[in-house]
Formats: sequence, C-alpha cells, structure tokens
Amino acid sequence: MIMKGKATEKIPGGKLITVKVEYEDVIKHIQILGDFFIHPEESLQLIENSFLETPADEDREKIIERINNIVEENQIEFVGITSETITDVVKKAMGE
Amino acid sequence: MKLRVLPFETRSAAMNMGIDQAVTETVSNGAPTTLRFWRWKPSAVSIGYFQSLEDEINLEKCKELGVDVVRRITGGGAVYHDYDGEITYSIIGKQELFPKGITESYHEICGWIVNSLKKLGIESEFKPINDIIVAEKKISGNAQTRRQGVLLQHGTILYDLDVRKMFSLLKVGQEKIADKMIQAVEERVTRVLDHKKISMEDVYNALLEGFTEGKEFEHGELTSEELERAKEVAETKYSQREWNFMR
Repeated sequence: MIMKGKATEKIPGGKLITVKVEYEDVIKHIQILGDFFIHPEESLQLIENSFLETPADEDREKIIERINNIVEENQIEFVGITSETITDVVKKAMGE
Repeated sequence: MKLRVLPFETRSAAMNMGIDQAVTETVSNGAPTTLRFWRWKPSAVSIGYFQSLEDEINLEKCKELGVDVVRRITGGGAVYHDYDGEITYSIIGKQELFPKGITESYHEICGWIVNSLKKLGIESEFKPINDIIVAEKKISGNAQTRRQGVLLQHGTILYDLDVRKMFSLLKVGQEKIADKMIQAVEERVTRVLDHKKISMEDVYNALLEGFTEGKEFEHGELTSEELERAKEVAETKYSQREWNFMR
C-alpha cells in the first residue's frame, strides 16, 4: 500500500523546506518545495529523481552522501538549504 | 559597470517576468547590463521557483480581487506585489561583473538599495541571505538567479503595504486572519511611508540615484527584439498553467 507523507521545517538562519513523499518499501514520488535557492534551479529535479526507487528506510548518511555527490558533479549551489536538512525533512515526512 | 537604464514602467505579471527573461537572453548575447524599475498592474502575487502555487496562494481570493499570479524564475518566497505598495527592480548583467559568491553578490546589489534609502534619510542594512532591514524590520526582499553566464537579481522595496489584504491572498493567513497575526507581521515588516511621507515617484528617483551612483549609465529602451521575445514568453510560459502550476 502506498503511503503519503508531508513534513515542513524552518532551517535556522535559513529557509523553509517542505517535502511531500509517496512510498511503500521504496520511494515512489517526491517533491521538495520551499523558499530556498538552488543554482541552477533545474537541478533540484536531479536531487528529487535520485530518491526514486530508493529504500524508504535508507541510511541517513548514505542519502546525504548521494546528494553531496550530485551537488559536486553538477556544480550545484545551495543557499538557505543543505543536503542534511533535505534528508532530515524527507525522513520526517516518512514518519521517522 | 556601464548600465542601460530602462524607463520606470507598469506591466502585467507575465509581461514583467517575460521582460526579465528576454533581457537575460540578450545580455547573455552581449547586450549591456540592464537596470529596470517597475510596478505590477494588476497587482500580483509571485511565488518562488521551488514553491507550489496551490500551497502558497489563495487562488479564489486572487480571482475575486483581480490579483494576478505568476511563478518566478528565481527561488525565494511568495510576495504580494501591490500596485500602490512597492517598487520592483531588476538588474541583469554578465556574471563576471559581480562577486562570484552568492551572498557577496546579494550584498553588493543590496548595498545599492541601502544607499538609495539613505538618500531618503532611512538607515537600513543588508541581512543575509536576501533581505534589507530597517531596525530589524524587513523593507526589501530580493532574489537571484544565474543562467547563461548572466546574473539576474530582482527584488522589491516596500512603499506601502496592506497586511490584511496580503494575508487574504496568501495561504499562511488561511486559518484565520487574526489580529494577533497581522500585528506579528506589522512588527516584522516596515515600509518607506512609515519613515518618510513622500511620493512613489520620489522613491523611484532615490533608487535610480542610489543604483547608478559611481557607475556610467544611459537611459535606454527595450529593443524591438527584446519586446517581441518578452511578449512571446509572457504568453507561452508565464501565463500558462504548465509553468505556474509546475510544482
């Protein structure tokens, strides 16, 4: 059964991030929303896509490392958001 | 830095976004660094690139009050652009003309606004990431994107603001537009008119002076190519559900 989750967090000294997720044993759909900045903007899609079909209970450190790799490979810049906060809000949206 | 300064104009949300995109493209192809001050008519709510229109905006209320909605190409939050309540600017230039660091470039451009407000006798300061404050209250919000080797920063300077109206348009205020909540926002936000009773035209003049000080500049117009392209993307992108409801 596909479950749906949503979580929002205000990053201290940063921005608001909301994650909407649909998952069962793996993540089926994910949206990362908020008033943060990512340059180039289109690259958020890469990060969202990297969550698809990954285990819902995947290790936090592993996710952070994966996001960091995408950031490095694509010369992405985060402003008001971090790989850690994205990961934490995704986890929170899935009830962890 | 040599600037082309476009006339202080009033346009629709889609057209304003279209002009920003069209000028970004021509600057990428060698057009001069361009500065533009503008207003929104009808008044509009813009949302950041990463926001959800349906989550942020009370669309029914916007429709009822004739307020436009549009998604920006820049990140950041939802902003209510009241026709009588603010002046918006865009600065569009080659990336190498600005500091490489994002915060540093915000700092530099926001410094021009601080300088402008000073000319009006208003002491303000840049507050990272992207705000300008007067005694801890926000007076200006700014947003930046970098694409095709070009830096685009646009932002607003609050002249007047009907907080109650703003709340009715944004979903934050959906539950109940409680007086306490309005008071809380009133305590966080400030406007030029709270500090000095002057016309919007005078604010524009101060901004023009503050932004161009120490720079070479000349007044110019959009080229017909830019205007055509702006109209095209206003129609095919910024007026379309596909873009505005993208997230």
